[in-house]
Amino acid sequence: MSQLRIAAVGDVHLGEDLRGRYRSRLSGIEEKADVLLLAGDLTRHGTLEEGKVVAEEFRDLPVPVVAVLGNHDHHSDKPAEIAAMLKDEGISVLHDDSVVLDVKGVRLGVVGGKGFGGGFAGKCASEFGEPEIKAFVNHTKRIADRWRVALKELQADRRVVLSHYSPVNDTLAGEPLEIYPFLGSYLLAEAVDSEGADLILHGHAHMGTEKGLTPGGIRVRNVALPVLGRAYGVYCLGEHGEDPDHC
Amino acid sequence: MEAPQYVAARVQSALAEDDRTHELGVRVDVRGDQLFLRGQVGCEERRELIADVAGEAAPGLVVHNEISVVDVREPGGEERL
Ligand SMILES: [Fe+2]
Ligand SMILES: [Fe+2]
Repeated sequence: MSQLRIAAVGDVHLGEDLRGRYRSRLSGIEEKADVLLLAGDLTRHGTLEEGKVVAEEFRDLPVPVVAVLGNHDHHSDKPAEIAAMLKDEGISVLHDDSVVLDVKGVRLGVVGGKGFGGGFAGKCASEFGEPEIKAFVNHTKRIADRWRVALKELQADRRVVLSHYSPVNDTLAGEPLEIYPFLGSYLLAEAVDSEGADLILHGHAHMGTEKGLTPGGIRVRNVALPVLGRAYGVYCLGEHGEDPDHC
Repeated sequence: MEAPQYVAARVQSALAEDDRTHELGVRVDVRGDQLFLRGQVGCEERRELIADVAGEAAPGLVVHNEISVVDVREPGGEERL
């Protein structure tokens, strides 16, 4: 099986003022990667105008593009409209479901969505007390359950999970501890660990750290643009020793 | 006099909620009559808007805009997993 080169970035926070600037960094991406994954916060205010900039910035690339939305993309209550604009340009947008791409004869399955917060095992919110707290925790639980089902049903050779919020706290190092519950939830990692995946990508934690691991040993990468400091990260999936010249 | 922690919290909320900014990742510190802003944004215009919004939320303080503009470098080498 060929190795796959996964390019990924999140938190590009595009708007009219950045039009064209990111696009210029994408030239030649087909030489570096086989697919581009966008980990949410594609806009700053979640407006349709910004959605249009995103669609134009990432359309007609020589590699397939798969995206999830982030909290900023929800701010103007237009997530479905923004997703539709991206889809019109051939970009897949995941909403707690999956897509399977044929990349060089390898079936690459991508599962994911925005994700949500709640905190990390032992230091997290639980479904107890006021309805507002219950709704907060329940939102994350429902998302994690949908990911579990999507992963269970996924028929693919390689499995990547794409999220906006973080499934682990490793990749939050550098963020203030007090805001960890707003940056991610261990429920996301638990769901992925139970069904298995090769890699989890997320954004959202601009001051975090690139590399982490789930309790089950799945590699996690925080690809928020300010964390990477480069246009995108590239992660190569494949058996060691197999096709050694490729990556 | 208002406690500096409350001033910093008000500035932070303004930066998150003001339509001109919507920036969540800015660190705000108040020391005496000095206001310090730290973090990263995508371009110079956004950097200046942050200082404007912060200054309006905390009139009378001297704003030190230590926000940097994130430099999107060329993608580097890949990581093999
Ligand atoms: Fe973000
Ligand atoms: Fe975010």
